[in-house]
Amino acid sequence: MPTKILITDDSSFARKQMTRALPSEWDVEVLNAADGKEAIDVLLKDAPKVMFLDLNMPVMDGYETLEAIIKQDIEVIVIVVSGDIQPLAVQRVTEMGALEFVKKPINKEELSEVLRAHAIFDLNAKVVAAKSTKALTTLVSETEKTDMQEGYQEIANVAMGRAADLLAKLLDSFVVMPIPLVNMIEVSELRMAIQQVDDNDMVSGVCQGFIGAGIAGEALLIFNEASFEDIADLMKYVGDIDESVQVELLMDIANVLIGACLKGIAEQLDISFSQGHPLVIGRHVKVDDLLSQNARRWTKTLTIEMGYKIEDKNISCDLLLLFTEDSIKPLDELVSYLID
Amino acid sequence: MSEIDVKELQRIMGMLRSIDVGLMVLDEDFTIKVWNDFMTNHSGIRGEHVIGTNLFDRFNDLPEDWLRNKTRSVFQLNNSAFTTWEQRPYLFKFNNYRPITGTADFMYQNITFLPLSSADGTVDHIGVIVYDVTDVAVGRMALEQANEEIGKLRKSVSKKQS
Repeated sequence: MPTKILITDDSSFARKQMTRALPSEWDVEVLNAADGKEAIDVLLKDAPKVMFLDLNMPVMDGYETLEAIIKQDIEVIVIVVSGDIQPLAVQRVTEMGALEFVKKPINKEELSEVLRAHAIFDLNAKVVAAKSTKALTTLVSETEKTDMQEGYQEIANVAMGRAADLLAKLLDSFVVMPIPLVNMIEVSELRMAIQQVDDNDMVSGVCQGFIGAGIAGEALLIFNEASFEDIADLMKYVGDIDESVQVELLMDIANVLIGACLKGIAEQLDISFSQGHPLVIGRHVKVDDLLSQNARRWTKTLTIEMGYKIEDKNISCDLLLLFTEDSIKPLDELVSYLID
Repeated sequence: MSEIDVKELQRIMGMLRSIDVGLMVLDEDFTIKVWNDFMTNHSGIRGEHVIGTNLFDRFNDLPEDWLRNKTRSVFQLNNSAFTTWEQRPYLFKFNNYRPITGTADFMYQNITFLPLSSADGTVDHIGVIVYDVTDVAVGRMALEQANEEIGKLRKSVSKKQS
């Protein structure tokens, strides 16, 4: 009888990647869930033996799912598969009963090793049942068609996780990661999107251009000025937080977030980016003014929006990656290699 | 390495030596390992006199705490760091490249710190790139000043009208 396993991830791209990473000799029936709530329903109904769980999901995230599993006393082996690789995230899920933590993007050898180490599935042991490809083929038809946006979303998710990990190390705190938003938007929409980010507060920003492999764009970090005091505190700056200290802090955060994020994306696509020198823009201005000056040269842009928050602190910033219209074709090609 | 490769390398080295941006390589103890012509010519100190010496011993007016702080994340996180002239006008106090017609007293600098990793992947050196951005800085400051004056003029005009 095949082993029932449950893959819980909001991205169908990630679920597919996960399914592909499973040892092909493992006789499994793959069940899918797009969030924690769906996962709990499947756990109660089908009682799968092993569950692969993402942390960043809408409706009910990975942590809440683990909590529900404990509360309802459900028997299942949980392996967390996450782009959020902060040591504190690993510690938390382990404390909540997860057996193992595997970082995204998932790698076949690593997964086999984890499954072997915990005696869940061992290729060399004689427990291997007859090879069954049936489960996998039914899965593919079950999963909805993977769309490019899902691919982008997952790449952004992994890159965001790496950046959060570095930021957490720099600030020695836990970084709360929401799901990155990937959208094709018009200039006017971009302005609106940013406007929503912060309507009243004064913000500062840093922008930095990047280019490589036919892909070009700009990273824009938008920083709420109310955050400076807490950031200065975490980075152990002493003395007054005057203008120059603020620029200093802004650049430190920008260096880490933009650098790590771009590196995370480039590594996944197997390319490399050159980064231009960052520019401090619009000190103490309204968000709207940040864009109004030079928003005439382009009409549409692919945007990846990532919001970062530091737990228990009044610190929030938004990182926007804006890709030019010309970059979309080469980007699509690179992402499609990952999907196939 | 074949002869062609060596020649190619010599050409690349020649370019790096004479390129018009400052290049410097430091190890974890801030010992200077590479110092190109730009650095020599603007500091007046030749490579053979600085290579192998400690950066802070050699240039004791450098902001040591700041620089150690800035480079820590480069070493630890294997991540580039950038600083702009707005943040700190210069790292090395060099004279303006145009001593006759230039208006600034010193060279405004943007700095890039790059992690350089050894064969085993650990970052044990950093590359420092010094860009001369005096023209940009002077232009920006002149613009800001002009805007300020326009603002003042506007206020005085509206006062007179009311």
